[in-house]
Amino acid sequence: MRAGAVPRWAWHAGGWGLLLAMLLLAFAVGQFPVRPAMLLQALGSQLFGVGEPVPPTVHAALWHIRLPRALAAVLIGAVLSAAGAAYQAMFRNPLVSPDILGVSAGAGLGASLALFLGLPMLLVQGFAFAGGLAAVGLVCLVAALVRRHEPVLVLVLAGVAVSALLGAGISLFKLLADPYTQLPSITFWLLGGLNAVVADDLRVTAPLLLAGLLPLVLLRWRVNLLALGDEEASALGVAVVPLRWTLIAAATLCTAAAVSLAGIIGWVGLVVPHIARLLVGADFRRLLPASLLLGASFLLAADTLARTLAPIELPLGILTACVGVPCFLLVLARSGGRA
Amino acid sequence: MKRRALLQALALAPLLAAGNGRVRAMPAQRVLRLGEPAGSPKRVFAAGAPAAVLIAALAPERLLGWPMRVAPEALALLPAPLRALPVVGRLAGRGSTVSLERLLAMQPDLVLDAGDFDANYRSSAERVWQQTGIPIELVAGRLPDHPAQLRHVGRLLGVAARGEALAQAAEAQLALVREVLAARPADARPTVYYGRGGDGLESGLAGSINTEVIEFCGGRNVAAAAGNGGLARVSLEQLLAWDPDVILTQDAAFAASAPQDPRWRSLRAVRSGRLHCAPTLPFGWLDGPPGINRLPGLAWLLARLHPGAAPALAPTVLHARIDALHRLLWGSRLPAGTADALERGR
Amino acid sequence: MNAATPLLEARGLAIGHAGVALGAPLALSVQAGEVVCLLGPNGCGKTTLFRTLLGLLPAVAGEVRLHGRPLRGHDRAQRARLLGYVPQAAPLPFAWRVRELVAMGRAAHLGLLTMPGRTDEEIADACLHELGIAALSARTVDTLSGGERQLVLVARALAQQARVLVMDEPTASLDFGNQLRILDTVRALAGRGIGVLLSTHQPQHALQVADRIALMAGGSLQALGPAHAVATPERLAALYGVDAVRIAASLPVAGTPR
Repeated sequence: MRAGAVPRWAWHAGGWGLLLAMLLLAFAVGQFPVRPAMLLQALGSQLFGVGEPVPPTVHAALWHIRLPRALAAVLIGAVLSAAGAAYQAMFRNPLVSPDILGVSAGAGLGASLALFLGLPMLLVQGFAFAGGLAAVGLVCLVAALVRRHEPVLVLVLAGVAVSALLGAGISLFKLLADPYTQLPSITFWLLGGLNAVVADDLRVTAPLLLAGLLPLVLLRWRVNLLALGDEEASALGVAVVPLRWTLIAAATLCTAAAVSLAGIIGWVGLVVPHIARLLVGADFRRLLPASLLLGASFLLAADTLARTLAPIELPLGILTACVGVPCFLLVLARSGGRA
Repeated sequence: MKRRALLQALALAPLLAAGNGRVRAMPAQRVLRLGEPAGSPKRVFAAGAPAAVLIAALAPERLLGWPMRVAPEALALLPAPLRALPVVGRLAGRGSTVSLERLLAMQPDLVLDAGDFDANYRSSAERVWQQTGIPIELVAGRLPDHPAQLRHVGRLLGVAARGEALAQAAEAQLALVREVLAARPADARPTVYYGRGGDGLESGLAGSINTEVIEFCGGRNVAAAAGNGGLARVSLEQLLAWDPDVILTQDAAFAASAPQDPRWRSLRAVRSGRLHCAPTLPFGWLDGPPGINRLPGLAWLLARLHPGAAPALAPTVLHARIDALHRLLWGSRLPAGTADALERGR
Repeated sequence: MNAATPLLEARGLAIGHAGVALGAPLALSVQAGEVVCLLGPNGCGKTTLFRTLLGLLPAVAGEVRLHGRPLRGHDRAQRARLLGYVPQAAPLPFAWRVRELVAMGRAAHLGLLTMPGRTDEEIADACLHELGIAALSARTVDTLSGGERQLVLVARALAQQARVLVMDEPTASLDFGNQLRILDTVRALAGRGIGVLLSTHQPQHALQVADRIALMAGGSLQALGPAHAVATPERLAALYGVDAVRIAASLPVAGTPR
């Protein structure tokens, strides 16, 4: 399907429409049974002040539990997809995920440490955030110190190495943790999930997520140039090194914030940009908004499934893999290996 | 090797049965003995937390080290020989944190383990025995088997009298549970949610040893509806749908923050003050580890699940009973905070 | 700047890596409307020279001047507005459309947060039209042939509206027809007043298209002068290490109409 066949406004309408539909669906379904009439009543009384307010438990279920969780899924899905798309462009490789520079491994290590020490949940999130930033900082430091002809390759290799090291640290904590209390907490955190998201978490994390997204959105046309290669981009007049560091900093900021909130959720940042590229083409001006919208809908759908398929919570990381991997293989087979 | 172990276990069965005609002995399949301790073991290595708790209660001076970290507040309540013990790690197949060489260097006379064990666990125990030659005793069993466990291990360690005393105290707790439940109609069993972790959103499914006390004390675990197995995460919305009568936890931070949280306050149990935080000194009263440390928790839980169901569950009586048990087990009185809370019925 | 000032000039330029020079300092210049062709065997330092001229690699000694001012005196965007680079056409990692790829050439004229607007799109279209490939405008780059890709890259450099272009082996791995197409394009650009510096492994092409030819070996220039005066069979034999008679047999006769 060639992107030029459908006008731009149609894509935007489709993307936003899908997201809104998913949002309404997420709002309407859940383990706590709410009849459609009650749902409308809740919407009416809360948003428009029309009609009687619903019972407190229904109100809590809808507005304190379902809505923050849906909003978190939207933001996190959007952020992970945008970061994935940006990294794929920067590293000129469609097989790159936002974890490539070690942000997930660093956040996992921070969270494991905090859970091992028995710290409250707020500090666990803080440790995870700091861990993610520190990991990428370490990778960039290594890359800056090693002066080679191919700076991008050095970044990737340093990312792989640091991720492996931090992963070993996580394994160590899992071994030392008390198997009756701490180990399950660590395992569940690493699998990812949004069931503990509160409105307060969103209030703290949303500014970070948006602050990281903003440079990506503003600079989205320049990202195309980075994908041409350092030399070509430089010859075209682009300040390659500052631009790359800015993009890495922005992507890391929002990814670390997302992982600290939701745990490690894989495949979103890898698969969604691919699908978006199939739909709207490789130009990052269109690819970024498409990834944002598609990623938000994707994670929202996955999270809705995670909390409705069974009475217990299915870890989000497992669901995104189960849905993402077949999509990925399908994309791979159809495109013959090139997006 | 395996056959010899089984034969030994079978051979011991009549001895165990003959030991005390009054009560059930440990069934042969619940005990796995590898090797033969020479005489009564003086240096005992606890493979995991439930075994450490057993030894700490029966013969504290024999314990070589702790398999888990014990908080200083907990150690203060325990007999003196236990307070200076190092943390030596656990022996748990692939999840072991003690190396076999270190184990050998400690020169234990016996390795004791307690808790559920399956074929995989049994084979890794055999492997340890073959490599080190140290006798291993695995004692399985859940709450109802605790008296038999105490007798068996008491005899094994050569402190049969102490084992007998503790077993009788355990039987008294189990009898209390039977007595209270017998008087309650079947449909008066409250629905219970046991929240683990700092946010209280982790729980045990049906048949999980972590939530064993709930069913035993006449509660219905709401998370059992979600299936069989171990631990799982739940969402607050699911909790709202289940709306349990009682919420239990051992995490003090969660118990303190939940009543302030508008989402948790949507639950009946939180609003009506039936969110109970079980004490955790010296070891968890409900769970963590799932061993004889839960004995004081039985009466406590009965009073919370079935308030006023029996005179024995009145706050003062309860306090006296649990205090006596505590002194028998650990040789110290209940800490002031816990005693106070019990007296007030909180 | 008067008409005699070269657009691109190297003075006493020693090229190399990490402060180690490859060869003797060289001097090179490209005037407006002139085609200068660089010939040399593999490993002679052509790529290093180009990267140094483009400012991608620091010079070991000497300087490069662009429009009469030292290269370092221009900031990157300014430099890109004057000096364009056409690399060898390699497969691109993503399937941009041709129009988008050519519009990327406008980067030097746009602010950091500005995206190409209508004017820029029109310039891109005009560049495609000038090279005769306007029909490719809506195709994606992964569906193009090698020659078409090379022409698209030339269009991108044109969109930069640079006065001098540096082309790295623009005829490499192209079929015969495409090779001729590229050479015709180069002459047409020179006719428009753009200075072109290109490298090639085909002396025949150099003789067809260049005003001046430079022979390069061991990191420095051996000769620089009018095409047919420099690219004689004897000189080429010495450069490539091949028999002069053999070379003479495969070159076009001097005076072939251009």
